[in-house]
Amino acid sequence: MHASRPLPLSRSPRRAREARSWPTALLFLLPAIVILGTFNVYPALYSLYLSFFEWNGFTPNRDWVGGGNYAQLVTSPEFWNSLKVTALYAGGVTLASLALGLLVAVLLNQPIRGRTFYRVLYFLPVITPTVAAGVVWKYLFDPTQGAVNNLLGSIGIHGPNWLVDPKWALLAVIIVGVWKRVGFNVVVYLAALQGVPRAYYEAAQIDGATPWQQLRYVTVPLLAPTTFFLVITSLIEAFQVFDLVYVMTAGGPLGATDVFGFYLYREGFKYSQLGFASAIAYVMFALIFLATVVQFRFTRGGQDA
Amino acid sequence: MRTLTAVVTVALLSASPALAVDLTFWHYWDGTNGQALQKLIDQYQKAHPGVNIKAEFVPGGELQTKLQTAITGHRTPSMAIADLTNMPALVRSGALVPLDPYMAKSKVNLGDYFQGPLVYGKYQGGQYSLPVSASNLALFYNKDLFRQAGLDPNKPPRTWEELEQVAKTIQAKTGKQGFELFTQGGEGTSWQWQVFLWGAGGDVLNKQNTAAAFNSPAGVKALQYWVDLVNKDKVSNVAPWGQFGRGDAAMVMDGSWMTQFFPEQIDFELGSAPFPSPKGMPPATNMGGEQVFIFKGDPATQQAAWDFINWFSSTPVQIQWDRMTGFMPVKKSVANAPSYRNWVKNTRPLLQPFVDSMAFAHPRPPVPEYAQLSDRLAQAIQEAVTGRAKPADALNRAAQDVNRLLK
Repeated sequence: MHASRPLPLSRSPRRAREARSWPTALLFLLPAIVILGTFNVYPALYSLYLSFFEWNGFTPNRDWVGGGNYAQLVTSPEFWNSLKVTALYAGGVTLASLALGLLVAVLLNQPIRGRTFYRVLYFLPVITPTVAAGVVWKYLFDPTQGAVNNLLGSIGIHGPNWLVDPKWALLAVIIVGVWKRVGFNVVVYLAALQGVPRAYYEAAQIDGATPWQQLRYVTVPLLAPTTFFLVITSLIEAFQVFDLVYVMTAGGPLGATDVFGFYLYREGFKYSQLGFASAIAYVMFALIFLATVVQFRFTRGGQDA
Repeated sequence: MRTLTAVVTVALLSASPALAVDLTFWHYWDGTNGQALQKLIDQYQKAHPGVNIKAEFVPGGELQTKLQTAITGHRTPSMAIADLTNMPALVRSGALVPLDPYMAKSKVNLGDYFQGPLVYGKYQGGQYSLPVSASNLALFYNKDLFRQAGLDPNKPPRTWEELEQVAKTIQAKTGKQGFELFTQGGEGTSWQWQVFLWGAGGDVLNKQNTAAAFNSPAGVKALQYWVDLVNKDKVSNVAPWGQFGRGDAAMVMDGSWMTQFFPEQIDFELGSAPFPSPKGMPPATNMGGEQVFIFKGDPATQQAAWDFINWFSSTPVQIQWDRMTGFMPVKKSVANAPSYRNWVKNTRPLLQPFVDSMAFAHPRPPVPEYAQLSDRLAQAIQEAVTGRAKPADALNRAAQDVNRLLK
């Protein structure tokens, strides 16, 4: 390399301009980088680091345990129970809220009276704070005083001991999860339905398709990209559920509603096992990441289906 | 002019910052309790002009996390309180000042304290915190339902056998639940059941707090008693908490604080009594409360914090404090003081059985793993009560897990 040689001309004027604009861009990005870095990236990485230690959050020194927390996790029956409960909850909420959401959206897409009112009504649970909703639902599910069992009683069904019976508690929480999620699915489906050309239905009608067949062979396939989007977001949201369980059942009875989010909270903030809780968080992250990748591959990014 | 300057200088010097001490005090006492604390602080500051105490309220659920962050970040307040069950982690943090030298200098008589709560401040031979408030559990009963069932409303059950009998009679005569138990799991179930365990003569852990002891014959007896109440006598049921408050259950075990809250929410005549124990066994109960402690700092601040705590803990101030808040006394001299006893008798008679119960209130095991231990124990209790396991098996399995935890 000779000092006298001119710089290679590979840097086009455009790239040079880009290079010059870098500091400006950085300046604009700085607030976001600082905020996201401080409150998202750093804690996330620090949590990964912590997951290799045993630490109660109080003592000045932490004990390095390597993969010990992860090993302890996969051999813990609580972990497998929590995985099962979370999968049931996420699967239940996603499937039911999708089916109900589509049904309600198709109905609300008809020219019926008071359509706007119903749309608002279905969307209300979405914007209701989860904790408030959880507290109210807890009362509704009271076996002797609650509206749910009173309603069941009026049609001759002796309602179960919802939240205190291990067999029924998870279903109760899933019902509330669905109630909370359906409105969002309805709104997204409604928007997607506007994009389905009328001509398809007209063609189907000419061919003699029943309303059910129109739904099955026109609406559902054309809404597939929307459905996949909703499946992914719903699963991710359901996988992270915490507040609902915290308010309604605290993970009980006998671990019946011990979802991942609550398991993590309990180990980290009730039992002060910050390292172990960090390991749970990373396993949870890995699972959600995996689910997303699989779905992304499967749907080719939701582009077509 | 010169004299004026001299006067001003002297005045300034006498109020020099070297004498003034700023103290911060983190607590979670809200409402009336918070106002009572502020009142006492104002009183103290009036008598000690150089001391400036700033009481900072932190919501109950957040205080422990905040203390954790403060300790890790070396930004601790001068002093703070914590729930009993959080003390074991705090005394082991290395951030607290041992109180023994201060107590010796101020001639504090630890023998005047009820011994139960004291254990939470003990660590490696030192005393790191002192109890400043207490609560405990006893029996509440619905006098109206007693009357309806033809029972004497002034004769609450004294033994387990009587409790069972009274519950059966009332349930048969009135159709209401005999005795409400907290069966929802977690600490609520665990701390109620411990009263039965101690009543039967058992204990949660061994003397050294190194291994489970609740799977003893006494433990099995206590758990079998619960199983029988729910499944054999059917006087208790697995249902959401709150039946007694609605008038749907005749008896309940609840805390001293409810002598204040029940009367606001019920429409029946309320009675209270020490909690029954098995025939021939000494009574027992569980307790809660707060401890106060000092964080390591400069010697002047530590000393000033101690001076305040020492004043706050003195019998006359504690009498004021307990009368304002309704907390149980932590010292015998308070419980026996005529001014306190008369206040209970005249304004809060329901509190008397609770005050009497302080003498036999047991501490929950003062180990940092208590929260886990308690959840695991509650799980065993739920397994037995719902018929998923025999009491002995459920307790033995829980004991194995707890032993692993304490290792």
